[in-house]
Amino acid sequence: MFFKSGKKNGFEGGGLVLFDSVEEAMSGERALKADGVENRLVAPPPELRRGCDLALEINLVEKPAVERMLRSRQVPFIDILPMKGDAELLQVVQVTDFGEAVMVKAGNMKLTFDKSSGVVLNISGGGCPDIPYLHAEMLAKPLDRAPRPKEMGHTLCSLMLDRAYVQSLEIWKNGGR
Amino acid sequence: MLLICGTAPRKDLPLTQGEASLHGDTLRINGAAIPCTQGTAALISAAIKTAEYLGQPPPQALLVGDDGTGKGSRLLYEHLIGNLPRLAPRVVVLHYMLPVMGLMRKVSESASKAARRPFMIADAAAMYAAKAAGIARDFDLFTPDLSELAFLADPQATHPAYVSRHLFESDSTRIPELVAAAYANRSAARTLVVKGATDHVAQNGRILDTVSEPNVPALEAIGGTGDTISGMVGAFVHGGFGEVTAARVAIRANRMAGLYAGATPATRIWQVIEVLPRVFADHLDDWARQAGDASMERSAS
Repeated sequence: MFFKSGKKNGFEGGGLVLFDSVEEAMSGERALKADGVENRLVAPPPELRRGCDLALEINLVEKPAVERMLRSRQVPFIDILPMKGDAELLQVVQVTDFGEAVMVKAGNMKLTFDKSSGVVLNISGGGCPDIPYLHAEMLAKPLDRAPRPKEMGHTLCSLMLDRAYVQSLEIWKNGGR
Repeated sequence: MLLICGTAPRKDLPLTQGEASLHGDTLRINGAAIPCTQGTAALISAAIKTAEYLGQPPPQALLVGDDGTGKGSRLLYEHLIGNLPRLAPRVVVLHYMLPVMGLMRKVSESASKAARRPFMIADAAAMYAAKAAGIARDFDLFTPDLSELAFLADPQATHPAYVSRHLFESDSTRIPELVAAAYANRSAARTLVVKGATDHVAQNGRILDTVSEPNVPALEAIGGTGDTISGMVGAFVHGGFGEVTAARVAIRANRMAGLYAGATPATRIWQVIEVLPRVFADHLDDWARQAGDASMERSAS
């Protein structure tokens, strides 16, 4: 129902921010608008309803950026969920050993680092615009000195890259195992 | 015109359209220098090399800086919505951009207003947006990798980060099943080029070709090796190849380029792109002949 086209303002985001109270939802709307993030107040469907009867529809892809903005403006929220499908972000991480390098795959993102130096050799996969940017920022840096994708990124792709990054750091600190 | 649209990892790059040229590891468009790295820069660079080999004009690039905030992406969407019919490209490749369902739907509507709808290719987040907006069938060709194919096969997911675990954990032996599901959900373009340990070409639900040799495992680690396939397919289609022939040739050329470049997990994508002319010179005629009669397929020419 939420995904039908022809909505009043034409906005289809696919993500919901849930709040405890109507006041918090209104504050959230103002905070995101001030930061230029597209959103609109909606009634959450019964199966997703937690807290109050008002939620914010956002572009789900921008979940990390929205979380960061709401926290920086001290607007409390319960959760950010997709409006349909699996409510949980993918947790599965797959590891490929190339001998001197290790590739860690999380969702649609892959990070490859040198086992001995921890230097980021390559980042592949993804499709959101912060990925080439993060690629440029992280490449050729040791994992422990590379910027954390979660802190610089704005999209779900950056969140997946962050998963790969955290796992890579752990593998490297354990001697590449 | 082959029009390639996407974002570049430079905050200061305004919306820029122009002929693209490649100089070593640097792409130049209207005086702007963009490093040939993972993303749309790699796609454009592979298309340049392919067009050059075919004796075709270089692609037109429509690029904008975006670090993920989506501001540049929105400018790009709005420009396409307002100008696609006037630009009248024969082939459009949509690539890295913030996926915004409503805007992608309008881009597709705008393409239909051209005297002849362009041949529409989507990869990366442009493909995510087309699938999430329910307009995948309006596109001619998608180029997903295995995780993105799982996303196309999941009728509920609006981004690959929310794919059902059982679909994500599929290995390449389940590609035919995922391809069938993607078509059944109407989440696939007419033609799919699935990039992976074994590449697959499918059309309207039927797998037409698979390739696993030469096997260069390091290619998966190199950022941009999927983008190069999309760039080559776009340039081959623009050069008059049927879309299936273009796909068959591109997946073979990509693997062979990995071999020629001696790819390791540390190889940079420009090093793979730079060997493409040698790969084409050695193999293109044979591959095109083996790929079948191009005139049997729809061509953009």
